[in-house]
This record gives sequence, structure tokens and C-alpha cells, in this order.
Amino acid sequence: MSFDFRQTLEILTAANGVAGEETNAAAAACKLLSAYAPDARVDDFGNVVGTLPCEEADFPTLLLDAHIDEIGMIVNYITEDGFLKVSGCGGVDIRVLAAQRVTVYGNGGKNVLSGVMTSTPPHLGGDSTKALELDEIFIDIGMDGKAAKENVRLGDRALIETPLTTLAGEKLTGKALDDRSGVAVLLAVLDQLQERKTCYKIAVQFSAQEETGERGAGLGAYAVSPDYALAVDVSFALTAGEKPEKCGILGKGAMIGVSPALDRKMSDKLREVAAREGIPAQVEVMGGATGTNADAISGSKTGVRTALVSIPLKYMHTPVETISVADLENTAELIARFLCAAPVS
Amino acid sequence: MKLKQELETLCNLDGISGYEDAVRAYIISRIDGRAVYTTDNLGNLIVFKKGAKAPENKLLLSAHMDEVGLIATYHNADGTVKIAAVGGVDARVLAGRRVRIANTQTVGVIGLRAVHNLTKEEKNKAPKAEELCVDFGCETAKEAEELCPQGTFLAFDTAYTAFGNGKITAKALDDRCGCAILLSLIDSELEYDTWFTFVVQEEIGLRGAKTAAFGVEPEYCMVLETTTAADIPSAEDEKRVCALGAGPVISYMDRTTIYNKKLYELAFATAREEEIPAQTKTMIAGGNDAGAIHLSKTGVKTIALSVPCRYLHSPSCVIAYADLKNTKRLVKGLMNRICSL
Repeated sequence: MSFDFRQTLEILTAANGVAGEETNAAAAACKLLSAYAPDARVDDFGNVVGTLPCEEADFPTLLLDAHIDEIGMIVNYITEDGFLKVSGCGGVDIRVLAAQRVTVYGNGGKNVLSGVMTSTPPHLGGDSTKALELDEIFIDIGMDGKAAKENVRLGDRALIETPLTTLAGEKLTGKALDDRSGVAVLLAVLDQLQERKTCYKIAVQFSAQEETGERGAGLGAYAVSPDYALAVDVSFALTAGEKPEKCGILGKGAMIGVSPALDRKMSDKLREVAAREGIPAQVEVMGGATGTNADAISGSKTGVRTALVSIPLKYMHTPVETISVADLENTAELIARFLCAAPVS
Repeated sequence: MKLKQELETLCNLDGISGYEDAVRAYIISRIDGRAVYTTDNLGNLIVFKKGAKAPENKLLLSAHMDEVGLIATYHNADGTVKIAAVGGVDARVLAGRRVRIANTQTVGVIGLRAVHNLTKEEKNKAPKAEELCVDFGCETAKEAEELCPQGTFLAFDTAYTAFGNGKITAKALDDRCGCAILLSLIDSELEYDTWFTFVVQEEIGLRGAKTAAFGVEPEYCMVLETTTAADIPSAEDEKRVCALGAGPVISYMDRTTIYNKKLYELAFATAREEEIPAQTKTMIAGGNDAGAIHLSKTGVKTIALSVPCRYLHSPSCVIAYADLKNTKRLVKGLMNRICSL
């Protein structure tokens, strides 16, 4: 297998795509998708969509989904002194913001500006055991009020950008691995399907605005009207202080979702394929809805039978999200094998 | 070399307190052949440069080479590494950051439990430094120990960047700003013979300056530093302390020193005469090597000139370049006046 996850993720994570402003990330993903789906395009909502060429008219349609957006910040006020006040765009972890380097995509992305999140120095007293509220933090773009207002508009996005970096043991760290990892896995699956025969007509979407409430995925699913769907997202890898029953283990393979909101037979089939093929995988049991695009897709039109496969990821929604390349490879292998097995009845 | 380039080179080097080697080696490479130098037993670099004349008063200019950072203390079974802060580091600027083994490309991350799994209370609680660990990607304690043995120094992994209107962000601006100014003075022709010290271990208690001053025995000393500017929207009035763009900060008192009043006045007079913007601090906060130097032997008449700096001791300090240039101008004007007092 020659799919280069490092290189693919470098391209995908370098592009900015805060929820609702996914243009650059979508363009990068669309270009990569077009190698497999000649009809790849970005729809009106910002979802990247495409279908694999298929001559079998009576095959059922299966929609593969991963989300293209990432969490970030949105500018909602500019002070007289030129500091930007922001809100979270998606579930930002305020504990990591103080004194972070940020990039502001000013004037709708035309002006790419460096900035620093303010932090309150210790001499000001205050309670250092308390995380700073988003209310108390501003972006310092090093400009006075006039220059700031010329370079930034309300509604512009800002991002903490950490370049993709390799850690020990073939692990990758960076921003937006939630869910560019999922996008990369699906591209790897498509790559494998060039040499393997699937039992489905395959539609693909890299959907917009997952982080603000799984908004793009439902629209994409509506347009495709699939018989089945498989969403790929990231989920919690165990770190100190987390509950083991809520987490997978980094490096132990894909986390196969089992939940009342997911199609039981598809989940079982994924477990079966993993066991039969000897692909490392783990099970993630959720007591209700999954909090992923699987929820939106399964509820589309008269309902879509949907499975969820998650890539274990440490430090979710921080600029130092961390994944294992082995997990990406195993997740792609599992999904490709699943797609080559007969559909569930 | 241009002051800006010098600062960039200096900030991108790692020199955590007690491990200033890379910074010292660089500074030596810059001054070799231009001045005479020695290092003392703690690692301070002591430099003498001849000027056109012998001064009336022996003057020392001092800046510190070290920066705040982290040190590895323990290896957890899951392969993560426990850390302690070296110098005053607010744990809130560590979470969600990349760090590197000092002067290497080996990167680790300081992660947190996922925000999704926290209670409302936990979401608003800043992590404590002792709870934070560095994840280098190792899976066992042994693997981590091989990669990052106990006592390994870790630096913030942020690169020097110019941004905004004439602003600079980098780690270690405290006190590579001072080092950059000293280097540029050593490069230039001096009117008077002058002593310079590049000292170690300021951030853990002004330790290098103490022995350096003892060795040099100056009558007068000018400490070149950075100082907290809190000219940000969440601070008001006196709590802003000083402001970027308003020129060098001349201190009358901080937590370690009451500065020599004559020098304080002379510094402002010099600024006025040479039309250099200058300001003072509106809070008695912080401290610097002056605290150790002014009490050396029978005492040293000491003044501190500082570049105002936002987010001090964080991975992303911010200064205005104009302040750095104006601080250098003021230092130049003041040193000649002190030498001829």
C-alpha cells in the first residue's frame, strides 16, 4: 500500500477551514478527491461531494462521510485599540487560548494576519487557577484601531495554526486532525478501491459545519439519498484522567461505533470484517446519539442505515491533537474490506 | 548585524536558565575579535570593550541570556513526561502547546483531557502545572526516558515572527532584547571603556548577576531588560503598567530594587535632550538583575532600562520594534553621560 498519509494530511491540515468558512480546506480536499471521483465539486453549502464511476446500476448506494471543517474563532468586535474580540466557532477549549499564536483571516481571507491571544500577566493578580473566559481574551494583531478595522471585518475567522509534525512512533500532531484524518482515511479507501471491487455505488462527501451542529452532512445526504452511509470521525483516545470506558487506545486501530442511533447490522459487520481479516480495531459503545455526522445522515429523508468508524485521537479540540499513522492505515483497511463485502440485509 | 536580525537569531536559540550554552556560544561567536571576554564559574559571559577614552566611572551594562522554560522530572507509565517550570511560567500558557527538547527538533505536545468530557466547572478551571505532561509520542516510560531523560530542558516551540504594525512576537524576548542591544553596542565604536555582562539564571532568582557583578566590580550599572506591559483591553489604568510604542521604560522601583534617583532623573533628562520617547511603570511589579547587582560588594549605583513587552514569560511575547531601537538609543546616550559624571 503506497498511500502517503503524512503528505495527504500535510496538504489537508495546512488549509484553513473554520466552520462556515471551509473554502480553502474544501478546495484542497476536492482536488484530492477528483483523482478518484471525476465529478468532484463543492456544493452550495460548502460540502465537497463526488461519486466513484460505477457501471453496476443495481448496486446499492453507500455514502462515505467525513467532515472538512475545523473548530476556530469568529471575530465579533474590534476595540478602539485594535484588539479583536472573538467567539468560538465550534467547541473551542478556552483553557488553551492564553498567549497562543493565531492566524486571522482578515477581510474574508484576503489578509492573512499573525496575532497573539492576550494573556493576563501574573502581576494583575486574578485567579490563576481559573481558565480565562473567552470574554477576557482578545486577539492582539499588533495594529491600532484604524489599521485593525481596515484589515479585519466582523465575521472573519481566526485559527490557532500548528504545522503538522511527526512525534515518536509514527504519530502526528497538529491542528484540525479532527476531522482531516477522516478525510485522509476516506481518500486512502478510495485509493484502495481502484484495485478492489466494491459491492456499492460509492458517493463521498467531506461535509461542512459539523463542528457547529452536523449541519452540512444532512444536506449532502439528502442530495445523494443513499441506501447506506458510513461516517468517519475522530474519537477520544485514552489519556491521563479520562474514563477508559469512554475512550479508545491510540494505536489499537479503528473504533467501531455501536450505538442505538447506528445500524446494528452494519456495526456487527464491521466487527466481523475486522476479526476475519485480522485488522486491529476496537469498539466504542455510546448510549445515545453519537454526536457525529452519523446522527444527521441517519435521520435524512426516510432514514439511512448508517455506521460510524472513529479514529482514536488525543487532546481533541486543542492545537495539539495527536493521532497514530497506524490507526489511519488500519481504519482505511477496515473500511475498504467492509466495502468489498456483501451489503448487510 | 541589524538589530532585528540579531534579535531573531537570539530568540530562536534555546537557553533555559541553567542551560544557556547555545546563547553564550552564539554571543561569543559574535564578539570574538571585537572585545575581550571571560566566563565565570556560573557561566556568565564577562566582556570588556575599549572605548576612545577611559571613563571617570566604571560602568557595567548587563542583560541576561536565560529564558523561562520547562525541565523533565518524571516518566509516566503511559510514556508521557512530567515537567516542572523553570522560572515563572503560568500553567495557563502551557496547555495545548508544543514544546521542544532545547536546541533540538524533537517536539512534544502538552495536551489536555478533551473539553467534551469535562464538567462545566472543569471547563473553566486552569490546569495546574503539576498535572501537565509532555507527550512525545512514546508509549512506555522506558521509551520516554531514552528520548527525554530526567533533567532535560524543554523550550517553547514558537518561532520569531514580525507582525502587525512593527510588532514582533517570539519566546525569550525576555531578555534577548537586552542581549541584542549589548551586541549592537559591542559592534559599534564606543566613547568610553565599557564592561558588559551576559548573565545566567536570572529567571530563577537573579543568580548569575550576583557573581558577575562581584567579578566586574562596577561603580555604575545599567540593566537592560524587558518589562511587563499590560496595555490590553482586560487591564485598566495603573494596571496596564506601561505601553508598547511609548519608548523604553525607566524604573524608579520594583520588587527587587529602589533605583538610584540621580540615574533615574538622568535617564529621563537624556531622553528629553535626545528626543527619545520614554516612560515609567505605573505599578511596583516584577524585578530584575538590578536586585542582585545594586547590592554587590559595597553597592552599585544602578538603573534599569526595559523594553515594554506584552505576555511576558509566555511562548508568545510581543514587543514593538520601535521600542527596542529607542531603548538602544537611550542606552547609548545614557552610558556616555554616566561615564563622564
